[in-house]
Amino acid sequence: MADATAGTDPNPKTGSTADLVRASLARRNRKQMILQVLGIGSISFAFLMLFILIASLVSSGYQAFTQTHITLEVFIDPEEVPLERLPRGGFDDVLEASLASVLEDADPNDRAAMRALGKLLSNGAQFKLRDRVVEDPDLIGQTVTMTVPVSDPYDQLNKGLIDRETPEQYRRLKNFEIAWFDQLMAMEAISKPLNTGLISNPDSRFPELAGLKGALIGSFWALFVCFVISFPLGIGAAIYLEEFAPKNKFSDFVEVNINNLAAVPSVVFGLLALAVFIGWFGLPRSAPFVGGMTLALMTMPTIIIATRAALKAVPPSIREAALGVGASKHQVVFGHVLPLAMPGILTGTIIGLAQALGETAPLLLIGMNAFITSAPSGPFDSATALPTQIFIWADSPERGFVSRTSAAILVLLGFLITMNAISIYLRNRFERSW
Amino acid sequence: MMNDMRKIERDTVASEIKIQARGVQVFYGDTHAIKDVSVDILDKTVTAFIGPSGCGKSTFLRCLNRMNDTIDIARVEGDIHIDGDDVYDPSIDPVQLRAKVGMVFQKPNPFPKSIYDNIAYGPRIHGLARTKAELDEIVERSLRRAAIWDEVKDRLHEPGTGLSGGQQQRLCIARAVATEPEVLLMDEPCSALDPIATAQVEDLIDELRRNYSVVIVTHSMQQAARVSQKTAFFHLGNLVEYRETGQIFTNPEDPRTESYITGRIG
Repeated sequence: MADATAGTDPNPKTGSTADLVRASLARRNRKQMILQVLGIGSISFAFLMLFILIASLVSSGYQAFTQTHITLEVFIDPEEVPLERLPRGGFDDVLEASLASVLEDADPNDRAAMRALGKLLSNGAQFKLRDRVVEDPDLIGQTVTMTVPVSDPYDQLNKGLIDRETPEQYRRLKNFEIAWFDQLMAMEAISKPLNTGLISNPDSRFPELAGLKGALIGSFWALFVCFVISFPLGIGAAIYLEEFAPKNKFSDFVEVNINNLAAVPSVVFGLLALAVFIGWFGLPRSAPFVGGMTLALMTMPTIIIATRAALKAVPPSIREAALGVGASKHQVVFGHVLPLAMPGILTGTIIGLAQALGETAPLLLIGMNAFITSAPSGPFDSATALPTQIFIWADSPERGFVSRTSAAILVLLGFLITMNAISIYLRNRFERSW
Repeated sequence: MMNDMRKIERDTVASEIKIQARGVQVFYGDTHAIKDVSVDILDKTVTAFIGPSGCGKSTFLRCLNRMNDTIDIARVEGDIHIDGDDVYDPSIDPVQLRAKVGMVFQKPNPFPKSIYDNIAYGPRIHGLARTKAELDEIVERSLRRAAIWDEVKDRLHEPGTGLSGGQQQRLCIARAVATEPEVLLMDEPCSALDPIATAQVEDLIDELRRNYSVVIVTHSMQQAARVSQKTAFFHLGNLVEYRETGQIFTNPEDPRTESYITGRIG
């Protein structure tokens, strides 16, 4: 508007400055207002989306944080489990018999009914019993009390995820199976404790037994290897580039390519790792060590960029002060600049590691999405990682994995939020003013 | 202004030449910042560099301890000798030189460390103290010399950045003298200080003259008149006039000097 007046009016000095300012005030305030509304609007939108994400995950995932268990009095029949055949034996038959003994209408001689009864318990129940007997063979011939997970359909029934009103032929559990479960409920044999197996069990084909232990340990080793490689290399490269490298065409070229490296899609790093680490160096497939090296390739540019920014942010007066008393370049960098840049470097590193923790594509390519039912004992053992475990579970047909997938995502988000919180804490804690 | 010149009358002690500069040229990229400057700076004397902004006085000061080396595009030509040794000789390490030629900067720049560590840093890296007691002594002596000991002796282990501006600048002076330099370069040391702190620092500079050759860059002609015995007037990269402070302010030879000190250029 001011421009318009200046254009049409040959003599812009018609009013005083105060008049001109007053005339434009409404317009300026309106613009500021619009900007504020847009800002608040976009933040609200982001929060709404975050809320929807978390709410949908919690609503579908909270069921996985509990697991239906059944408590049974089990008579370990020496005929089914003879001492000399340990660790083999008819542990499933023993459990079925114990169930049949408490249920009114279960006929121990009806093979079909007994098979249906066996499916009430988790497939892992017999192994749990076996391990207990192997550990203490004196239990043979005695009656022991055991609490074991029920199988997935009964867990779903207990959590109200199977609708009893559905016609029988479309329902996963038949009327007589539901009747059995109700009898057990009435006997108070059914409990729904916290599902510690979600964290302490390795992966399994059976949802009621599947847990994240292997994925957590795999992710830990991968991140550890990633940190050990990318942190010193990234900081070293950044210090050299920022403090020591001559500023010429070559260092410009290096800088541009580090920025390019940070923008390379992660799946490409996965292919590179597959070709170089596994194909060429012959490192084991599915190993967190290889996963960590792959993630380090991706994290290093992030750390270099963050470190350079942090080094640049150290005021030149501090360098001059140190140089002025006769510190060498090396003493200036390691005695003054680097400690002052450390909070920024740590923040960048943790954010880089948090990205690496959530990275899926490169791990898929090096085989960290294998089905592995034992937790790795070291970085060279086959393992999965949290995001690839989510990928596997999301792909599984069993109903029980739906809630477990959401629960695993919540666990992953929990770790990410924790890491980001640590980085904010470190930044506030060690930030110094000068 | 005449009232501020009380110290001009003070005798200039006839002393030896500490720094001898001949034909110094400095280039920042294509800019010719210092043009053929030759000057002899005396020992145990305060020498002031005055001149309008951008005249090259700070640039020349930074040649004396090779601080210009840290600027990639800066190039220095000519000879600078301190005690007869060529400062720009390849065999001279700038680290060695800067231990001998201390520097105080325009803005107080204490390290974000304790007051004690600020002073002890230089002696530590140069290995000037063998024991903790010796280091304590150096710290105390340096702080006393900078006239700040009484103010900070009870809080030596608190951060130096927590001091007031004037205290921080005296801390920086104490840090500079802790390594026992022979020359002290001061680049507008009072420009960020209030009048009281300025007066303290000026008294201190007068004290330091007993032990050091002090070179001070200043924008304030009154300050140059108050603290220095010799004054050099720089203009557009040239050293226009270099004489006894009293003479330069009362009887300048060059018309440019006269214009500057009477406030017509600057």
